[in-house]
Amino acid sequence: MKLIKSIVRPNKVDEVKDSLAKLNIAGMTVTEVRGHGKQKGHTAIYRGKEYNVSLLPKMEIEVVVPDSLADDAIKAIVTAARTGEIGDGRVFVLPVLESYRIRTGERES
Amino acid sequence: MSVTQPGPGDSTLVATFNAARLELKADVLRGAGGRVALERYADRVDALLRQLFAEAGGASVPVAIVALGGYGRRHLCVHSDIDLLVLFGGRIDAAEEQFLRGFLHPLWDLGVVVGHQVRELDDFAQLETDNPEFLLALLDARPVAGARQLFDRFGVLFHTPATHAFILTSLLQLMEERHARFNGTLYQLEPDVKEAPGALRDLAATRTIAMLTDPLLLRRGPADAARVDEAEDFLLRVRSTLHLEAGRNQNSLSHEMQERTANLLGYPGTGHGQRVERLMSDYFRHARIVARSLEWARRSAPLPVGPNLGLSREGVRFLDPLQAARHPASWLGAFRSALEHQTTVAEEALSCIQQHVDRYRADDFFPQAVDRVALLHFLTPRLGLYARLSEMHDCGLLGRVFPEFQAISWRVVRDFYHKYTVDEHTLLTIRNLERVSTTDEPSRRRFRNVASELVHPELLVLALLLHDVGKWRDDDHTVESERMAKEAVDRLQLTAEARDTVLFLIRHHIRMSLVAFRRDTEDPEIVKEFAAFIGSEERLKMLCLMTLADIEAVSPDTLTPWKEELLWRLYVDTYNHLTQRYGDDRIERNQAGLDELLRQRPDDLSTAEITRFLEGLPQRYLQLFAPEAIYRHVRLARDIHPDEVHVSLERDHSGVWTLAVATLDKPFLFSNICGVLSSYGTNIIRGHALTNPNGLVLDIFQFTDEDRFLELNADGQERLLQTLQDVVAGAEDVAIRLRGRERGVLQSRAAPRFAPVVRTDNGASGRYTILDVVATNAIGLLYRISGTISKHGCDVDLVLIATEGEKAIDVFHITKGGSKLTEAEQQALTSDLQRTLEGTL
Repeated sequence: MKLIKSIVRPNKVDEVKDSLAKLNIAGMTVTEVRGHGKQKGHTAIYRGKEYNVSLLPKMEIEVVVPDSLADDAIKAIVTAARTGEIGDGRVFVLPVLESYRIRTGERES
Repeated sequence: MSVTQPGPGDSTLVATFNAARLELKADVLRGAGGRVALERYADRVDALLRQLFAEAGGASVPVAIVALGGYGRRHLCVHSDIDLLVLFGGRIDAAEEQFLRGFLHPLWDLGVVVGHQVRELDDFAQLETDNPEFLLALLDARPVAGARQLFDRFGVLFHTPATHAFILTSLLQLMEERHARFNGTLYQLEPDVKEAPGALRDLAATRTIAMLTDPLLLRRGPADAARVDEAEDFLLRVRSTLHLEAGRNQNSLSHEMQERTANLLGYPGTGHGQRVERLMSDYFRHARIVARSLEWARRSAPLPVGPNLGLSREGVRFLDPLQAARHPASWLGAFRSALEHQTTVAEEALSCIQQHVDRYRADDFFPQAVDRVALLHFLTPRLGLYARLSEMHDCGLLGRVFPEFQAISWRVVRDFYHKYTVDEHTLLTIRNLERVSTTDEPSRRRFRNVASELVHPELLVLALLLHDVGKWRDDDHTVESERMAKEAVDRLQLTAEARDTVLFLIRHHIRMSLVAFRRDTEDPEIVKEFAAFIGSEERLKMLCLMTLADIEAVSPDTLTPWKEELLWRLYVDTYNHLTQRYGDDRIERNQAGLDELLRQRPDDLSTAEITRFLEGLPQRYLQLFAPEAIYRHVRLARDIHPDEVHVSLERDHSGVWTLAVATLDKPFLFSNICGVLSSYGTNIIRGHALTNPNGLVLDIFQFTDEDRFLELNADGQERLLQTLQDVVAGAEDVAIRLRGRERGVLQSRAAPRFAPVVRTDNGASGRYTILDVVATNAIGLLYRISGTISKHGCDVDLVLIATEGEKAIDVFHITKGGSKLTEAEQQALTSDLQRTLEGTL
């Protein structure tokens, strides 16, 4: 199993969600996050006064998928979230050692 | 002053007066000098005055003789002063003075002590605050002789809530001072039956408090009316005997007088001591009733806060619930007063409304224009508005005033997000706006500033109130909300512009959150499209706050700092687009929206004339101004020649003036116009300056008449416009006009409240260098800025003028020789401006 954690533009969440749904990946966690990568924010000006926009609003989407689906899922996310501009985000893939259903206590493999 | 000789009629006067006095004295001797006898005596004096009035000869204006104070109440003791008001319906001239002599001198000859005040009716247009005793006496005013209509007109001028409130405050203060003279106790061994605590003045004060605050107050007091009347009669009988025994206006019940009074009043007893003791027991018993009634009235009296409205410990209530029940248009006043005094509407007033509300239709609550204005004013966001609207909703009033709102009362819509019924969600949006308008939270200050800049925040509240009314149906609620809101705004008879704004906000209340959270707002095209859709900064501000308030009212967790940030960024990007790029897109011949404007044109304007005027102006001009204003501007620009200015100047109901100037461009033009406005002491608060490629300039300024020049001078408008003509034509130098003022400005600019910001940007606009100036607002500021720009040889092509509290926010679109400024030119200009604004240049 893999945990796929992607940081995407807020307006891309729906597209990523739809693409994953097409792969029958339904369960996911979506979190509002702020941060920066290479993009490092920029300076905005309002009425002659500058203010620093160093942390940019992004969405974090987490899904856990079987190893066999991981590549397709990553491809789906990257395709859906890409605009080609700086600030499109990142995808991280982590191994998952074990997983349990809380309601039943059942272990999933 | 000459002394009148006794005339032929005087002997009858003397006889009449003496007969009246003898009659009263006989009553007093019988121990019956109480209310009945005194009233009869007052009537006799009335008759005497009427006779004197008839004999005094006419004045050239209407006159009324008015009894005041104790005489007004018909409690006239044998040696009481006769307090009179001689009221003239016009200017007091020789004929009036002669009348006064003819009327007053015979009275003095009779030996009567007359306390007289002479006034012209107009004197009562303003409150005479330096003589509270006179104002108190006026409360007992009673017409005795002369023009009854004049007296009635006086009543209308005098009896205002403000006057009543002032008199009440003065009365309480006078009472405290008077009581202090008696060490605050009624148990005096030798009491003054007029002045002492519990004596006649306190009794009158009790009734005055009730009269000024709540006429039914005494019915709920510690003593019933009969006991208070009995106390009064007793005190009057004692006072009458004192006057008779002393042979003068004496009110002190001294030990010696106590014996004589006890005898006269027929107190039984074996000796003086016993009779006096019984008299004084009666005195203290009655005085205690008076004192307790007064204390109760003082504690329970509601403060008058409006017609039939009193502020009590329970909140604002109707003084006369029966009267209130018949006048639904007065109900909103209770909520408005409660809001102003930061209190609630009393439960009994809410019950009264609830009981009667179903009898009335929406229009009954605002039958007249003034009621509709009051309703809109009530909707201004401030602390307590949500609470008052909730009270209105709970007692059924809100749903009657806005039947549209009733449709979502307790309405449950099931979705994943909303946590409250639709009506409560709606009211919570208003609470959120109220909070953001007053917040001190650092992260929210940016939104508070936006709220503080709204020209018509009440329209935003109205839009919030109606934004979800379409949710009574299950399909697309924004369309239905707008349809229903149309009915509401039509009933309120909003202006076309206000109506459009409210309906726009309702129809598109989801749009900004959609763009902020679902679109790529880093894409300039998305921002451009959104800016074009919004059209004006005012609408942008309103929609931004509406979005914030709406999301926050969904549930406590829905508005995250993350969402706030996204919303704010979209706001800033759109604002910058609206203010900095609006010169880039110009109106072209086949512009969208132009057809409609041309089709609806008035008869005196041709298509060609309108098109010629519009071509080359920024596209946003069509969004910034309503068609009627555009047609006015076209007329203004007609047949214009060099050095001519065509001008219109009007004042709106809130006292803000709008000056529209059309002329042909020339150096220092903008600066000169600003200079003329400043030289008349006006404060420019908003404005646009536009130029088209043919050199036509259209400047629209909104300003306030700070020095009241236009208000106080009948020919003020004419003079201002003439100066404008002269200065633009070069016949007068505005710098000379401003010299005196500049000194004042120099003083005030010595200490700017915050560091001025001057910034240029060559990237934002395709055509112009954008110059942003943010500085402490001051008279003459725009003149100084634009003068500096002109000195640098720059052309001012477009200007947006705004103020935010004490901050002036001006955006200039400038060019030099038709191009953007070079880096060096920008540098030179900004440093010059910086020094000008810091007061070092």
